[in-house]
Amino acid sequence: MRSIDLPLTGNVVAQQAAIEIRDLTLSFTAGTPTIDRVSLTVPHGQFLSIVGPSGCGKTTMLNLLAGLIHVPHSGTVRIQGREPRLGDHGIAYMLARDSLLPWRTALENAAYGMEVRGVAAERRRERARDLLVRVGLGGFEKSYPKQLSHGMRQRCALARTFALDSPILLMDEPFGALDAQTKLQLEELLVDLWQEERRTVVFITHDLGEAIAISDRVVVMGARPGRIVTDVEIPIKRPRSVRELQKDHVYHELYAHIWEMLEQGYKK
Amino acid sequence: MNASGAQGWKKLAMGFASHAGFLAVLLATWEWAARMGLLDPTFFGNPAGIISFLWANFVQGTHLWIELGWSVMSTLLAFISGSLAAVLTGLIFVIFPRLERFLDPYFSALNALPRIALAPLFILWFGLGIGSKIAMGFTLTFFIVLSSTVAGMRGINQDHIVLTDTLGASPRQKFFLVTLPGAIPVIFSGLRLGLIYALLGVIAGEILAAEHGLGQQLAYLASTFNMNGVMALLVVLAWLGMAATSGMTRLERHLLRWQ
Ligand SMILES: Nc1ncnc2c1ncn2[C@@H]1O[C@H](COP(=O)(O)OP(=O)(O)OP(=O)(O)O)[C@@H](O)[C@H]1O
Ligand SMILES: [Mg+2]
Repeated sequence: MRSIDLPLTGNVVAQQAAIEIRDLTLSFTAGTPTIDRVSLTVPHGQFLSIVGPSGCGKTTMLNLLAGLIHVPHSGTVRIQGREPRLGDHGIAYMLARDSLLPWRTALENAAYGMEVRGVAAERRRERARDLLVRVGLGGFEKSYPKQLSHGMRQRCALARTFALDSPILLMDEPFGALDAQTKLQLEELLVDLWQEERRTVVFITHDLGEAIAISDRVVVMGARPGRIVTDVEIPIKRPRSVRELQKDHVYHELYAHIWEMLEQGYKK
Repeated sequence: MNASGAQGWKKLAMGFASHAGFLAVLLATWEWAARMGLLDPTFFGNPAGIISFLWANFVQGTHLWIELGWSVMSTLLAFISGSLAAVLTGLIFVIFPRLERFLDPYFSALNALPRIALAPLFILWFGLGIGSKIAMGFTLTFFIVLSSTVAGMRGINQDHIVLTDTLGASPRQKFFLVTLPGAIPVIFSGLRLGLIYALLGVIAGEILAAEHGLGQQLAYLASTFNMNGVMALLVVLAWLGMAATSGMTRLERHLLRWQ
């Protein structure tokens, strides 16, 4: 729907991966590294999910990509060919908690990211209103977060994230704390929005079913040290319906296969 | 809707009537005790005398309105200057935590000092006029608002900060979009208290030495054993304090309707 601004050196960028991690090793403390020799290349427009046991370094990796942590590490990390930098406009980061500002209405919250990034008032209001309608919050523009349910708040955060025109979306368990029904709705919505614009998504989740249903590719990590156990392409063709997939046998085979890998990741 | 509205009114009227009844009984008993010589009016005054004092000075004459104006003006100036200075200092402390740690012992000592002890000094420095009263109110308001400002800004939700950082906000944006609005509820509770303390400082200063103000009038009336006048002014001061608090509550409800 909307074109994404690419730098003038479009040729070079087009050949580069959206995200390139090579031989990344990172430790918070001496001893076992938190992340051990991880290499991961995410091409432009791919929807990638990362699953793995708690504490295996998923959030740490996203934070590193977003420029949020400055711990000595070895290896290289590149976002569209650049070093990770806090506040990079190329990235939209959606945290696990909605982090809506309680003094702003739903509309103002949805427009918040654009406001910080200097989008003109008229345009951001229009886009925020559009997205609120898309996420099913039409009519709640003037509500404050305390007047919204948990799922509604998460929708609003989703609208805020999608309203940014960053080519890369980093999402850390955005639907982790939702009931199954709401989660299904939001997953379908996320896939719809993504299919319109084809941005690069790195999506962290604990829910393997979710990961397979919405992604092009699932990366399984293991814990202590955090490493990649397996990397699986999801060949199910799009457009997919998350609900319909429950009947697809490829889906169930993939699920069983990755589940096994995941269990190995727990063991070490 | 209509029925509950009518019921609301009825409740309000009932409440009003019961308070009016209670006060009438209290005042009548007091008046009766004073006339019977059970409660010496030289020390306690009597309701009829108090009411006629208020009538003479607030309705027939305007003289006490002017004194009230002096007190209100000093209080507002002390409150505004004290709060502004406190919010700015709090901001500097939040930006430079090391400065705060360094200054902490001095500020703690000043805060622990019974502030009324500064009055003689302020009277020498700023004279008998409004200046020394503002200084008194200022010292009280300042520390209260300062500590709430620092607490409010330190207590900002870290998720909001992280989100705003990843969006690439400038320090200025971060302050005006997150830190300040997020701290306002806590700052407000400091401001509400600060206003009451500004009034306290001003009235105390006026009682000690002044040319104008309700506190000065109060001291004068007490020294001439005009007990009805003293009691009348106490009523006025209580009303003033309540007006200040309810004004702040209204402002708060308007500004913080998102809470
Ligand atoms: N700032 C930090 N300082 C020290 N250790 C940290 C820090 N952040 C994370 N860790 C450690 O790094 C490891 C990985 O943490 P991380 O949050 O990345 O895990 P995760 O995979 O996101 O887990 P979860 O699924 O529970 O969210 C944990 O063992 C954690 O204790
Ligand atoms: Mg995590």
